[in-house]
Amino acid sequence: MPNTVTGEIRSIIDPVVSSLKRHQIEGDKDIALAISHLLMKVISAARWTNPYDLIDLIREVGTILSSAYPRKIITGNVVRRVLALIRDEIETEHNENANTPMMSSMFSLLSTSNNENHKELHKQSKKQMSDLRSIIIQGIRDLVDEISNVNDGIETMSVDLIHDNEILLTPTPTSDTVLQFLIKARAKRKFTVLVTESFPNYIKEAQNFAKKLAEHKIETILVPDSTVYAVMSRVGKVIIGSSAVFANGGCMSNSGVSHVVECAKEHRTPVFALAGLYKLSPLYPFTRDDLIEVGNSGKALNYDDFKLVDNVELVTNALDDYISPDYIDIYITNVGGFAPSFIYRIVLDNYKTEDNTLE
Amino acid sequence: MPPKNKKSKETVQDERFQAIVLTDSFETRFMPLTSVKPRCLLPLANVPLIEYTLEFLAKAGVNEVHLICSAHAEQIQQYIEKSRWTSKNSPFSVNTIMSLESRSVGDAMRDLDNRGLITGDFLLVSGDVVTNIDFNRAMAVHKQKKQQDKEHIVTMVLTKASPLHRTRSHIDPSTFVLDKKTDRCLYYQGIPPVDGHKTSISIDPELIEDIEDEMIIRNDLIDCHVDICTPHVPQIFQENFDYQTLRSDFLKGVLTSDLVKKTIYAYISDDSSEYAARVESWATYDAVSQDVLARWCYPLVPDANLIENNSYTYEFGHIYKEDKVILAQSCKIGNCTSIGSNTSVGEGSSIRKSVIGRNCKIGKNVIIINSYIWENAVIEDNAVINHAIVAANAVIGSNVTLSPGSVIGFNVKIGDNKHVPNNARIVENPIVKDEDSFDSDSFNSDDEETHTENQVPHFEINVKDIDLVGEDGVGFLYVSDRDLEEESESEYGDNYSGIIYQMKSLNVSDDSIASVSDRKAKKHHSHKTRRLSSTSAVSTDFEGGTFSDEEEEDFAKEAEATVHRALENNHDLDTALLELNTLRMSMNVTYHEVRLATCEVLLKKIVEFVTTGTLEAKDATTKIFTHWGPMFKRQVFGGDEEVDLLHILSQKISKLDKAYNQIILFFTVKILYDLDILEESNILAWWKSSGEVADEDLQEAKTLTAKFVDWLQEAEEESEEESEEESE
Repeated sequence: MPNTVTGEIRSIIDPVVSSLKRHQIEGDKDIALAISHLLMKVISAARWTNPYDLIDLIREVGTILSSAYPRKIITGNVVRRVLALIRDEIETEHNENANTPMMSSMFSLLSTSNNENHKELHKQSKKQMSDLRSIIIQGIRDLVDEISNVNDGIETMSVDLIHDNEILLTPTPTSDTVLQFLIKARAKRKFTVLVTESFPNYIKEAQNFAKKLAEHKIETILVPDSTVYAVMSRVGKVIIGSSAVFANGGCMSNSGVSHVVECAKEHRTPVFALAGLYKLSPLYPFTRDDLIEVGNSGKALNYDDFKLVDNVELVTNALDDYISPDYIDIYITNVGGFAPSFIYRIVLDNYKTEDNTLE
Repeated sequence: MPPKNKKSKETVQDERFQAIVLTDSFETRFMPLTSVKPRCLLPLANVPLIEYTLEFLAKAGVNEVHLICSAHAEQIQQYIEKSRWTSKNSPFSVNTIMSLESRSVGDAMRDLDNRGLITGDFLLVSGDVVTNIDFNRAMAVHKQKKQQDKEHIVTMVLTKASPLHRTRSHIDPSTFVLDKKTDRCLYYQGIPPVDGHKTSISIDPELIEDIEDEMIIRNDLIDCHVDICTPHVPQIFQENFDYQTLRSDFLKGVLTSDLVKKTIYAYISDDSSEYAARVESWATYDAVSQDVLARWCYPLVPDANLIENNSYTYEFGHIYKEDKVILAQSCKIGNCTSIGSNTSVGEGSSIRKSVIGRNCKIGKNVIIINSYIWENAVIEDNAVINHAIVAANAVIGSNVTLSPGSVIGFNVKIGDNKHVPNNARIVENPIVKDEDSFDSDSFNSDDEETHTENQVPHFEINVKDIDLVGEDGVGFLYVSDRDLEEESESEYGDNYSGIIYQMKSLNVSDDSIASVSDRKAKKHHSHKTRRLSSTSAVSTDFEGGTFSDEEEEDFAKEAEATVHRALENNHDLDTALLELNTLRMSMNVTYHEVRLATCEVLLKKIVEFVTTGTLEAKDATTKIFTHWGPMFKRQVFGGDEEVDLLHILSQKISKLDKAYNQIILFFTVKILYDLDILEESNILAWWKSSGEVADEDLQEAKTLTAKFVDWLQEAEEESEEESEEESE
């Protein structure tokens, strides 16, 4: 691939790359928004005459971004969404210009030389280019809107899913989506929520989460992680937040969640996973090393305790868990609820297969 | 990007937040490797140390970084120029300051003050800090303390550990006395290295007089030398030209000084996920490397790829690999290991808890445990490397064994079948050969050696040791004067490897130390250098007697000269005391020696008066001791020391001319008693103990004083009687 990232572009993306590396932007939503704003800047700053050059550029930027924080799948998702947007735009323009019937576009999908044709066809005038640019930027604006208002779409389903006097359990107190979902349901329903303590990484978050729920007059109980199996028999639904959803229907969530869903399966308790559309990824999960971020060992074992620190062979504090699709009953997204087996279809609607690998 | 620090209301400060990085540590703990490369460019987990510091500064939201370079300044400058920090996307501007004349932290700070770069509060760090602390919290504490206390000048950032923690400095562990409520630092004391003995610190009661609440004495803190300073700090260094080090001189000086009424606070991080440490010795190099590998310093981990072209990926078990690593199918890579790109590992080799650099070749059946192999090194078949460091481009022959603590320098070649003993340090070129190139001396001498010490290589033993490196090997055993001290320190922990925190293995290193100290004593007559850092001198107390004696003689001469000058030129008392104190600290001798020297000079002066007939013995004594006696106020603390002073005086006076020594002793004791330097109970104690000494001269000299003592005794008895009567 030609090196299309110029110094100018580099200076736009570098601050974001380094803050991603330093983990200064945390939170999936913040990262998604930061990336989309960044891509907006890149597209308006970049000089391109051919939309395919732009695609190459965005792919390269995407590679740099995802290597900055390889285990955050969301960065790649946003980049791929933008790429799909550009490709859609090219497609429609191409259809308008060439006035080709639908049939031939079907053929062109199968023929190998179609890309060449496209490129030649797209020697367009400047005016059209600037039109395309503004259309793409508008598309990204819509994406930003979608990401910022992701909770609205999910919340609306809460009343249908939660019943009166039900006991719910959530092991992901870090998820704002779950919080809003429960608060919204409280408007019409009365229910109890069990929140797991989430030791060691999210204790504070769990406490704040429970506090916020209590403020909204939801009966909230903070339970130790180890009691999940014991309480599961009383739980009506498990609601988890997810940090990424793969095309096979599996998802990434906080560490400890896989043990909770295992308990739920044992008790035949339904598991609902909440995920914004931007968390859906066209990728498939392969190796755990590439998926799971390992965090600060100091959280798992106090560093002061030098006798243990010296003598323990290994301290590993995994931050994420992979949940296989078998454990999840329904994904609730801002475009509706879907079974895990149906996720691949939504992925196809939103991404182009050409962009599955960015490099 | 973190939000810019809010301006505090009363201090109108510059928008820019500055950081001063001391790239030089002014110590020689990493010799001989630092003779080629400065400490801050040594790789820690395959990333130059300075990157960790700069990364911390970037995260802390610093806008302007000044690197103060002295030794190897050009290397550092070149490195920085090429690094990503000078690109226009860098979060801060980097400026290297050449401070080639600096020989200590104090010099560097004075240089900084002369340059007038400091515009507001700044962050002072050394170039070897590895930390992930949330700096904004520390800054908030600093701001808050500053508002509460106008005299606040420094906030030290400390983290909790335990006294014998591996990452804590074992060479100069230190004790902080803090106000429990406010974390105000009241006193600081470096304590002798951890060696299993009990140590004590003495605290001047005056210091703790005005404490309202409780105070705590802590010996469990990691001091990584991250300080938030106000612009007063360089000024204080400027005013106190004798301050050399940041802690033992500056901090202690400011806290104990009556003149500088400034306060210093500590910020102690209480979050268990916050990590801070300094790489200041082989022991901490080892510990910090292991901590970085084991993700205690997350997100500062190898797979964060701090340097642009690094490509580390994480695998479970804390294994980090770059791309293009070739591992033989039967080799075993254990936990906590990092391997750089283009490195190949042969069949049957096993590597654990180690760092392997780029482009290394590791042969078959090699065992590498807890060792650090830098880039381009070649390890041939069947070698065993345990707790050792192999610097860049070194070659280790087949069947070689590197014992714990050995350091193989750059480009050294160790021949086949050799056994490198514990703590051996091997360098490519004997440093003594570099004499002719001494014009550029500070570059091949170490970053920390002082100018005088550049001459030291004359006396270094650098033998091309065929026994050690083999027929076809390249390398010389490195033993330098300074190094020897280091070696002896290794008794307590400089042994770089994990040895310090395994107390039981201390004995192992004892023999080797005994042999080196012998050699040292022999050539010590040429040892003229003044120790600059009292920390390294601490170790001398633990060495052979010859050495300490020499030290004391040195001190006696210097101190006598100082007091003499003060008498001749009629300096004021404070100046004389300050000079003496500085001398005492730099030589690291006890107050006993100071008293000895002072008494010697004062008595000489009296004798001079008497023999020249200028004054009578009585007048001379009165004159000298009334004027100069108060010096003892700051040399004598507590009962035992008073008795000690009296012993010194009586011994010395008894050696004087019999014609007048009685008078001198009597008046000396009387005047010192009148000046409240001596308490009567201590005089009596001295009288009692000196009565037992069968020294004729002494007993004779005491005749006149006897009356005085009798009078004291009576007075005391009377007062006792009185009090008894009263109680009746």
